Amino acid sequence: MVLEKEILKKFQDIVGSKNVNDGEVITNAYSYNWCMEYVNYMEDKEPIPFSPIPKAVILPSSTEEVQEVVKLCNKYRIQFKAQSTGLGPWNQPSTENSIILDLRRMNKIIKIDDKNLYAVVEPYVSGAQLQVEAMKYDLTVHMPGAGPQVSPLASATSMNGPGFTSPHTGHSARNVLGVEWVLPNGEVLKLGSAGLKNHSDWYNGDGPGPSLRGIMRGWAGAKSGIGVFTKVAVKLFPYPCSTEFKLQGYSPNYNFDIPDFMRLYVMDCGSYKYLKKVILRIEEEEISFMCSHLSGYGLTAIFSHSVESMMDKMPIASLKTPLVVLIAARTKYEFNYKQKVMEILLDELNLKNIIGTKYTPNSIFYAEALRSNLGLHGFIVTGGFQSAKGQCDTVKTCLRTTKKSIPLKKKYIKKGVIGNDFGEGVWMTSYESGHYFHVESITLFDQTDEESVKGMGEFMEDNYQFDLVKHLGAPFFVEGDRMHNMFGPYMMNYHKWLRKIKKAFDPNEIADSGFYISAKSEN
Amino acid sequence: MALLSEKCKWIPQVQIKSQKYATACPSIDIYNYHPYSGGGRIILALLLETGRIEPSEELREIVYKCTECGSCAVSCKFLNTLEPLEIIMKLREKLVELGGGPMPKQQEYIEAANKVNNPYNEPHEKRLAWLPKDIRLDPDAKVLYFVGCTSSYRRQEMAIAAARILKAAGIPFNILQDEEFCCGSPILRTGDVKTFKKFLNKNLDVIESKGIDTVIFSCAGCYDTFKVDYPLYREYTFRVLHTVEFFDELLDTGKLKLIKEIPITVTYHDPCHLGRNAERYKDWDGDIVNLMPLVSINIPPKPKRTGSNGIYEPPRNILKKIPGLKFVEMERIKEYAYCCGAGAGVKSAFPEFALQTAKIRIEEAEDTGADTLVSACPFCSTNLQDGIEESGANLKYYDISELILMSLGLEPEKLKEITKEVV
Ligand SMILES: Cc1cc2nc3c(=O)[nH]c(=O)nc-3n(C[C@H](O)[C@H](O)[C@H](O)COP(=O)(O)OP(=O)(O)OC[C@H]3O[C@@H](n4cnc5c(N)ncnc54)[C@H](O)[C@@H]3O)c2cc1C
Repeated sequence: MVLEKEILKKFQDIVGSKNVNDGEVITNAYSYNWCMEYVNYMEDKEPIPFSPIPKAVILPSSTEEVQEVVKLCNKYRIQFKAQSTGLGPWNQPSTENSIILDLRRMNKIIKIDDKNLYAVVEPYVSGAQLQVEAMKYDLTVHMPGAGPQVSPLASATSMNGPGFTSPHTGHSARNVLGVEWVLPNGEVLKLGSAGLKNHSDWYNGDGPGPSLRGIMRGWAGAKSGIGVFTKVAVKLFPYPCSTEFKLQGYSPNYNFDIPDFMRLYVMDCGSYKYLKKVILRIEEEEISFMCSHLSGYGLTAIFSHSVESMMDKMPIASLKTPLVVLIAARTKYEFNYKQKVMEILLDELNLKNIIGTKYTPNSIFYAEALRSNLGLHGFIVTGGFQSAKGQCDTVKTCLRTTKKSIPLKKKYIKKGVIGNDFGEGVWMTSYESGHYFHVESITLFDQTDEESVKGMGEFMEDNYQFDLVKHLGAPFFVEGDRMHNMFGPYMMNYHKWLRKIKKAFDPNEIADSGFYISAKSEN
Repeated sequence: MALLSEKCKWIPQVQIKSQKYATACPSIDIYNYHPYSGGGRIILALLLETGRIEPSEELREIVYKCTECGSCAVSCKFLNTLEPLEIIMKLREKLVELGGGPMPKQQEYIEAANKVNNPYNEPHEKRLAWLPKDIRLDPDAKVLYFVGCTSSYRRQEMAIAAARILKAAGIPFNILQDEEFCCGSPILRTGDVKTFKKFLNKNLDVIESKGIDTVIFSCAGCYDTFKVDYPLYREYTFRVLHTVEFFDELLDTGKLKLIKEIPITVTYHDPCHLGRNAERYKDWDGDIVNLMPLVSINIPPKPKRTGSNGIYEPPRNILKKIPGLKFVEMERIKEYAYCCGAGAGVKSAFPEFALQTAKIRIEEAEDTGADTLVSACPFCSTNLQDGIEESGANLKYYDISELILMSLGLEPEKLKEITKEVV
């Protein structure tokens, strides 16, 4: 469904003619996204990697242009879907009446405040871009496990937020400070100190009255269902070690000069029960830059660059319940202290570090850890993965859900539709010194194989039901009306409140709600 | 179709050094819509293959607004096994097959090549007009200098410099003269494989009939085409070297001596055809072993073309051997160098796009503090010089062979005059 000529012209008047495209080729290309095939299957549609085709793709370059576009959408009752770097099915329109706002022309780092430890960025600044600029001040930024190529703004305002460096850099939901937000009616709302009349700045996301940060995103984000975020301030953190970053050789076999004060520990805890004790104890000491549990299988992947190269890492793959801890320091004293603490903890907990004895990773591992590039190693096995679960909870609940879900996962492994990780393939990381954790069940499937796609969809569906019935937490992919209606009654009817929020902000449903919640009442 | 993780828009993540020079792909940098990126182009191929779109003007424009520089492929293959560049080339082949490509300007140069053996529509018999009178060709030489169309007709200073250096080193060499034909690179890059094969066969027939051991090229495009593309269609036994490799060897063995100080600060632009794309496909005769459902591995591991075997060190070695010359690097270099903007028929079909890209690269060169930009490819030479002129940058441009020539003892300021004098 193309735009009427008159409307197209109005969009062109706002952003310039080359920044609006309603051509067949461009709009069709924007209907593809990773994982769309199993999402379609779960919604009883053909399991193809395409969503409805957007009516047009628009490339605004400023907040004012976004406002004008959104106002026009209101006038003509056209829905919009905003994208930052646009990776994943959540970026896709859910109706034939949607346009896509691709925000890639909004790509400025507005400010790095190295004294007050925050940066203000636009949507299409990537994590890597912000990080390298922050490194010039000996600082770093939080990046989600999705990798350094995605947008800190999108992660902070609109979607999830766990990352491999979370023990040091937190979670996107808790890192977001001031925000500039184009509401679904086109008005601009600035959250916190960014909205002050005098001396406005970005250092605080809350103002007088109830905080709107929770309404804006909560745990998992509104995924463009509640407006467009055009600027955000995110926290910066001390870079954990020397910022000298030297690589030799050629891609992908780079040699990295590992900074002097960095050390990796991989320990086998033997059981989930013991892992719980170990991770809480280590996090209590507040020394880790990375502290994650992955299955043995997952662990081999983060040390490998191809499925073939996983084969020589069997000592790791056979670990039962491994814990990965990376410590890093800026000075020898700090490093000695952290090493000493680890030494005492290993002794106290009766654990052995296999790094340097059973296994020594290539130096590039350390570079990728510092640059938050480890998450994408999940793709090397089957070419595709997606996570079931994704709850934020205590370590006990996270490990309970991990353990209890093994038989369910094994059922699908047996069918041959998902990759065999012995049912144990999860990633769990700690936040704020063990105050909370998050776990996701990384599940390998093949997007090019219809049976695998369907199997993945069915596994996700079964997982949700299982989590609900056994009360194993609220996954972060509870998206769209069907899912919220399914989870709400089990969780204080939160979906009714969420719907009220949607109604208050967007009564005309102009922000595409396909991956959020619609304003219409529950039937 | 596996993941399209957006990495193709950026240089390898661990190599990013600044916000300004983080991107990899001129096409998406300039045109912004996702299908202009490596990943987006894979989606286009999928759309065409599944019948969701048909060949059209819109599709043709997007598909041909790409320099096929291969930077997307390097970034992608840091972790993945996708082959964006190969898919881009296949997509063009498919469009040609379906009558939806190439661009009219490219069609024109293909027709010219068919007629006069060069895409510039210049008389074939004038191919050797650049040759200085004092240079002697040796019909029995085992070394052949394949000049290429661009150096023969447009960037003669490169051909002259190469010939003079060979003479200075006392290397007997030959040139095919009127038996040298377009290597086919600009034709192949448009997807017209059928015409390309004609040129490949013409060139190989001649060279193989002359008992040549080594063919050297000052044109990165010809070099890449002979080295990487020809063997995919027809095998040959002679050795192929770019002049930077050959001259580096001559410097190492003392046959050439760089004596004259050249007090300039130089940065070097890696041509895509000499760098990441000059990596041969390796034969693989292994087995795909199914380890478990959905997981198979290659035994032995299948070699990936990652850009790591390009010709990166020889030009740098040469520059570092020039007395008085200070060498500085840009941020995006070697396998993740930013393209000059000229390749794959872009310069002729979309000159504005080529120029915009060149200007981005020029700015990066200027940011190093260098006063001179050097490269080793006639396409890069033309486009980067156009970029310097257009942007008013305070940079001089030389082909690396010109610098060698100067350092062999010729006055830098006389170099351009010499070109005029002999042509
Ligand atoms: C392979 C993979 C691994 C992942 N792993 C993790 C992980 O470990 N941790 C994690 O937190 N997340 C993960 N994710 C999801 C991740 O949160 C997002 O992909 C990413 O953080 C968001 O950045 P982006 O630039 O990709 O945003 P996009 O993909 O562009 O957007 C994400 C969502 O936010 C919306 N959105 C984007 N920008 C705006 C805006 N300016 N205004 C309003 N709405 C907007 C989009 O419509 C979409 O719904 C993963 C995704 C993938 C594909």
